[in-house]
Amino acid sequence: MSSARIFSLFIIFIFFLALPAQAKDMILKEPPQSLSKYYPPESKEPKWIQQMHKMSTHFGGVFVNLKEKDFENVDKHADKLVEEYKKTSEMVPEWEEYFDIKAAEAFAAAAKTHDMAKAGKASGGLGKTCGKCHAEQEVAVWTRFHWPSFRKIKVTDPISEKEMGFDDYMSQVSSSFKGVTVNFGEGQYDRSAKALKTFKSQFMELKSTCSKCHTTDDVKRFYVGEDADTAFAGLAKELNAEKPNPGKFWKNIGLLGKTGCKHCHLTHRTYSFIRETWEQK
Amino acid sequence: MKLSTRLLNLLTAIGCFAIAGIAVAYFLINEKFEWIPESALELVREKELLERPDAKRCSECHKDIYEAWKESRHSISWISKTYIEASENRSKEKCLACHIPESVTGEKPSPRLDRRDDGIYCVSCHFVNGKMNGPYDLVAPPHPTHRNPDYVNSRFCGSCHQKTFKEWKETGVEDTCQNCHMPRTKDRLTQKFPLSLLHKQKWVGSHKFLHGDLSEKDILMEAEFKNNFFNLSLLNKTVPHKVPTADNGDPRIYLYITFLNAAGEQVDQAKEILAPQQETALPFNKEVRFRYRLFDPVAQAIIVLKYQPAWSKERVVIWEKIIRP
Ligand code: HEC
Ligand code: HEC
Ligand code: HEC
Ligand code: HEC
Ligand code: HEC
Ligand code: HEC
Ligand code: HEC
Ligand code: HEC
Repeated sequence: MSSARIFSLFIIFIFFLALPAQAKDMILKEPPQSLSKYYPPESKEPKWIQQMHKMSTHFGGVFVNLKEKDFENVDKHADKLVEEYKKTSEMVPEWEEYFDIKAAEAFAAAAKTHDMAKAGKASGGLGKTCGKCHAEQEVAVWTRFHWPSFRKIKVTDPISEKEMGFDDYMSQVSSSFKGVTVNFGEGQYDRSAKALKTFKSQFMELKSTCSKCHTTDDVKRFYVGEDADTAFAGLAKELNAEKPNPGKFWKNIGLLGKTGCKHCHLTHRTYSFIRETWEQK
Repeated sequence: MKLSTRLLNLLTAIGCFAIAGIAVAYFLINEKFEWIPESALELVREKELLERPDAKRCSECHKDIYEAWKESRHSISWISKTYIEASENRSKEKCLACHIPESVTGEKPSPRLDRRDDGIYCVSCHFVNGKMNGPYDLVAPPHPTHRNPDYVNSRFCGSCHQKTFKEWKETGVEDTCQNCHMPRTKDRLTQKFPLSLLHKQKWVGSHKFLHGDLSEKDILMEAEFKNNFFNLSLLNKTVPHKVPTADNGDPRIYLYITFLNAAGEQVDQAKEILAPQQETALPFNKEVRFRYRLFDPVAQAIIVLKYQPAWSKERVVIWEKIIRP
């Protein structure tokens, strides 16, 4: 068999893993409680992912060895794949139906003929079972087990020095932001300048929250980085001027609202929304 | 000869042999340990010491070091309440590596699976390649050792204190982390008889991993009233990393300024947060300036500097000063 064919089979194989079951609406249900056993803190290691890697290695191992004509290892990987697939099917009772043991066994039998075409064809049936579960569950699992909860992060308001939940803090930040814009709109520049001081220190306090989830400082270049500094400097300049320039003021407000608030919401808040919905059940 | 005399002679002889034996052992262990054959050492080795035992096991001999470590933050890096809260009940995977390290080797460690309650413990820091690594070339009958110069270098601490290490390196100061945070005293490495007598005294680094104190000598202030402005500057004069410094913790210094008028009434106030997470901590030997506009007549400014560690909400006063125009 030509290596181009093998390659295209590989593509098909990978395609099945990624292919959503069918184009239809997506429903994000909270993953079953029994899955928690395989993630920290209940488990010391992320056991579910480790299991996925095992299956994926044996699945891929069959094809790599078929290509290299190392048939002894083709058989080994085929047997191991069935074994791990069965084991996985017993891990989360609620998900039993995603698995098709017969498809796994049929694939192993086809692989053992050492005929690439037969193996490729039989892989489709098995690959589909992987793909269906991924399409329906993977995002939910990411949200539940890889996105920490914002609500559990406590923030100390630098103004009042009171400690509060992240969502309440956001409301505070949002209202002091409005203090800046509303006063400016009314021509009350002194009040706007004062509100800016409060708002800036509250906004900068957000910088302290990044390290609750991130372990590199690089991320602070975003949302709370240079763009925000520039915008704050621009705002202060206008408010300290004899005659503030509204054009420049609103441009900097726009910059702050977009890079400082909106971009962080687009990346982080989506997951927070989903978790919150589940928690309200 | 009387029986009692003979017995006495015998005892004296045994005593002489014993003293000579101890002297020879002392000489061998402290001066010429390379003469001791490996096969002789094999007889006294305690194999379980190489099976990553808990810290308590090391304390059977290294009692003083153990007790010092027990008082350090390292010993509670996994059970610390503030850590458990920040890591969402230890579910954030990114947060495990440095708080329950398998083995420290100059790079970010990987998390270990066993004895997690011991946090950053003896085995994490000393057990590398089947031997107890440390600063000395010596012989320890119970376990193999290896002299590793890394132990007196800042890079060792930098495996986990990555940001602090970077800050320290940029200052170019020679004092290492160990110089300040593990001050040495002449003492014994072990407290178990007879090992404690057979080994000479050596320099022992404090395993309390002292936090470090701040006072007026460390953070200098200059301030003046000038044309409706109050100018103030702070200088970290002595600490060759930012003050405060942190990796994932959030220690802070709060600067409070209260402006009073001639009647002693407060007319205004200001506050600054100096914190590594907000990138506002005080760099080494570089002045940081603040400027406040005054709207009312001011007769004095009261300035208070308070410190809050990463693991507590309590703030302690570093100093308090009053400035008059
Ligand atoms: C019952 C549901 C289910 C089935 C069936 C399933 N998976 Fe998964 N798989 C998941 C979930 C959920 C994740 C996401 C895990 C995570 O990110 O924590 C995942 C993730 C993966 C990953 C990515 C792991 C990573 O490091 O992000 C691979 C590879 C994988 N699966 C391979 C397979 C293969 C190959 C099969 C079929 C032989 C398969 N899976 C069948 C649920 C399933
Ligand atoms: C509640 C936890 C949490 C907090 C708090 C948080 N993030 Fe994130 N952030 C995440 C997660 C989870 C991801 C997905 C990728 C990952 O795991 O790093 C992410 C991704 C990012 C990314 C995309 C690049 C990357 O590193 O993956 C940036 C940039 C980012 N965050 C910046 C910030 C900044 C800046 C702050 C503080 C103002 C912040 N984050 C606060 C959880 C958080
Ligand atoms: C760390 C990234 C981040 C930045 C920067 C950020 N936000 Fe948020 N914001 C969030 C997250 C996450 C939530 C959802 C919190 C939750 O549900 O617990 C949120 C929620 C909110 C809410 C809803 C609060 C509520 O009661 O649920 C408002 C309003 C808000 N943000 C305003 C702002 C404004 C205004 C700014 C800019 C000045 C801003 N945010 C900057 C992440 C961020
Ligand atoms: C690169 C190593 C490293 C990683 C990874 C790491 N930490 Fe730490 N952590 C440290 C060091 C070093 C200190 C001590 C200095 C300081 O206060 O930051 C520390 C201290 C802390 C403290 C203050 C001490 C205490 O017990 O309260 C908290 C809280 C903390 N870390 C939480 C976290 C969280 C949450 C994460 C994951 C987002 C994390 N750490 C990941 C190295 C690390
Ligand atoms: C039965 C007694 C005993 C026990 C238990 C013991 N040690 Fe030791 N250790 C010694 C002796 C003796 C020395 C050498 C002391 C000397 O020369 O002053 C030593 C030296 C060391 C040194 C210095 C090495 C060097 O080259 O600088 C380290 C590090 C060390 N031990 C670590 C440990 C650790 C970690 C444990 C627990 C896993 C442990 N020890 C348990 C007796 C013991
Ligand atoms: C395996 C990672 C690791 C290594 C190596 C390490 N530390 Fe730490 N260190 C930490 C962590 C994590 C904490 C915070 C523990 C806590 O409070 O929960 C800490 C805390 C500290 C503290 C106390 C900080 C405070 O806020 O009071 C000092 C001081 C310290 N380390 C100094 C050192 C020195 C000096 C070295 C090198 C000899 C060193 N550390 C090596 C991880 C490490
Ligand atoms: C955070 C890492 C760390 C931990 C945890 C740690 N040590 Fe050490 N240890 C060091 C360093 C660094 C030195 C070198 C100090 C020096 O002499 O400058 C050292 C030195 C030693 C020495 C040689 C004497 C000396 O001070 O130079 C012995 C013995 C020792 N440690 C035993 C232990 C035992 C026993 C424990 C547990 C109770 C322990 N250590 C925990 C880092 C650590
Ligand atoms: C010249 C002495 C000196 C040296 C060298 C030094 N420190 Fe410090 N360190 C201090 C003092 C004093 C403090 C207390 C001030 C403070 O809180 O920042 C301190 C505080 C700390 C803290 C507590 C965190 C905080 O700020 O609340 C950590 C962690 C720390 N040092 C780690 C290190 C590491 C890692 C190194 C080496 C890279 C190092 N130090 C080098 C003197 C020193």
